[in-house]
Amino acid sequence: MQILLAEDDVETAEFVARGLGELGHNVLRAADGADALHYAMTEDCDLIVLDRMLPKLDGLAVLRRLRAAKIETPVLLLTALGRIEDRVEGLEAGADDYLIKPFAFSELAARLNALRRRRPFQETPTQILAGRLKMDLLTRQVWRDGQIVPLQPREFRLLEELMRNNDRVVTRTMLLERVWGFHFDPQTNIVETHISRLRAKLNRGGAPDAIETLRGVGYRVRDDA
Amino acid sequence: MPELFRSAAYRIAFIYSAAFALAILLLGLILFWTMHLDFTRQLDATLEEEASTLKVEYRNDGRGELADAIAQREASTLRERLLYAVYSRDGRRVMGSLRTGVPRLGLHDITFVDPREGPDAARGLAVDLGDGAKLLVAADRERIEQIDRTVISVFGAAFLLVVLLGAVGALFLGGYLRRRLNGISSAAEAIVQGDMASRMPVSARGDEFDRLSRSLNAMLERIASLVDNVRQVSTDVAHDLRTPLARLRNRLEEALRSGATGDVALIEDSLRGVDEVLALFAAILRIAEVEGGKIRRTFKTVDVSALASDLAESYAPAVAQGGRSLTANVANGLRVRGDAELLAQALVNLIENAQSHTPLGTAIEICVEARQGAIMLAVADNGPGVPAEDRERIVERFVRLERSRSTPGHGLGLNLVSAIAALHGGVLRFADNRPGLRAFLELPADPEEG
Repeated sequence: MQILLAEDDVETAEFVARGLGELGHNVLRAADGADALHYAMTEDCDLIVLDRMLPKLDGLAVLRRLRAAKIETPVLLLTALGRIEDRVEGLEAGADDYLIKPFAFSELAARLNALRRRRPFQETPTQILAGRLKMDLLTRQVWRDGQIVPLQPREFRLLEELMRNNDRVVTRTMLLERVWGFHFDPQTNIVETHISRLRAKLNRGGAPDAIETLRGVGYRVRDDA
Repeated sequence: MPELFRSAAYRIAFIYSAAFALAILLLGLILFWTMHLDFTRQLDATLEEEASTLKVEYRNDGRGELADAIAQREASTLRERLLYAVYSRDGRRVMGSLRTGVPRLGLHDITFVDPREGPDAARGLAVDLGDGAKLLVAADRERIEQIDRTVISVFGAAFLLVVLLGAVGALFLGGYLRRRLNGISSAAEAIVQGDMASRMPVSARGDEFDRLSRSLNAMLERIASLVDNVRQVSTDVAHDLRTPLARLRNRLEEALRSGATGDVALIEDSLRGVDEVLALFAAILRIAEVEGGKIRRTFKTVDVSALASDLAESYAPAVAQGGRSLTANVANGLRVRGDAELLAQALVNLIENAQSHTPLGTAIEICVEARQGAIMLAVADNGPGVPAEDRERIVERFVRLERSRSTPGHGLGLNLVSAIAALHGGVLRFADNRPGLRAFLELPADPEEG
């Protein structure tokens, strides 16, 4: 995957580029907004990691110009500003995701992975299949091996998020944001307790674990489970 | 003097008294002119009456009678006596003792030679006696001039008095204003010099200056408490950062000693330490943002009943796992204007606070109710509670009650809740739950609701 990394802080850029390189991605680096806009317009990028504060042209302006030019490459906005209004502004300018610095690399990698699949031309399915799990989004029902698993609404949303990212890691903060709408980090690990309840329901009757925990990173629904 | 005029107080006082003096001057001038004109008219009327009397006498009784009448009148010793002259057709003075040139007919001012005082001014009326002879009757202007002089001197004195009193009054008033203002400005200068305890002088009179001083003092109190708060916070931040950073340093040193083998557990431990520090900063920044109030622009109507029920549902399992219970007691359909996520965060912090400061087995309850036009979002527990004297202190930044200093958390949770309450126009309060603690947000109901 070709990823454009627009980040002016050399150390952060090195850190991210190295990590993405290790994951097998091809990283294109831009150190200011003008370069970032140029690459984004001329190169074929699958994803853009865009720092909000860049010299010459700030990240938001780059993003607005890209969207105005109908370039819909998924953009993850990086920012040192953690204010609520900044996040709203970023999403309104057309960012697909938003990550506040400092971040764990595993968080960035998981979010980029998730973004790659959220292409706008993707049809909206009414059913999601993942391994031995089947989910109907209209009737809001879940089956495992053909057996209905009754779930509470919150558990359904949690599983939906995991199944949409089938075989990819979803982090705890991603789940907090998307299932609970929390952009803060509560001390109590509500994600963990809800996952364990969900897991207990899915694994009833000694079935192998449908949800895999990756310690310190997140959760994943396995295609083969 | 220029120094005096640089002072607004003096300038205002001087301008005020100058205006008053000008008014006196104007009044004097008007009075002078009306009196002057009135007396001149009276004099003219007297002259006309006298001239017509003499003319009648001359016509009826002839020249000899006129000469007698004039001589008789000139012999009078009355002060108001008039002056007379009759001129023949060829311009010679043939009767009377008034020494002046041949006048034109009609009323006008003339000069004559007074036998005692020399040249003098008079008001004269010349009439034609019918046969070419002219009669001139005149009155010395002495009387009018005397009245004019009296008016001028009275008003001149009044004007001078007003100017004098005004100047003295202006100096006095200006000095007074300056003294009052100097009290305020010297207090302000003392504060600029660093004496933060200095305050504006307030007298017992309760006048405008005292009201101003009181407002300024109230403002200074507020600023002082904010400055104190900031100072306290920076000290506390430095202090609370040192502990995790010191621990982090120890771990890293240990990792270095253990050599290139790379102790994964130590590194994970260190990362947790760093995260702790970062969480503290995030909390400080979030509080600053909420206190800044800009978020109000994105306020929407929030169904707090749904929000609280939802949170209770999400948290109940986690709380149960921690050995306590969480239930909800929520009245339906209550709404406030606000930010849903911040309100959720406030409730989450209260739940977490209740969890970390109560023993196992404690029952925690989320309550939402409307009471006296306000909406109460409460988190109550039946734990040991907080003594009344400590309840206020628990909101203060970093103040964790001594016995709970060892429990985890950065101690900013309740500050954030308090800031969120204030952002929504409400307040965070603590009450005795008999037994236990009841923390509640008292928020104004959504005004768009009926």
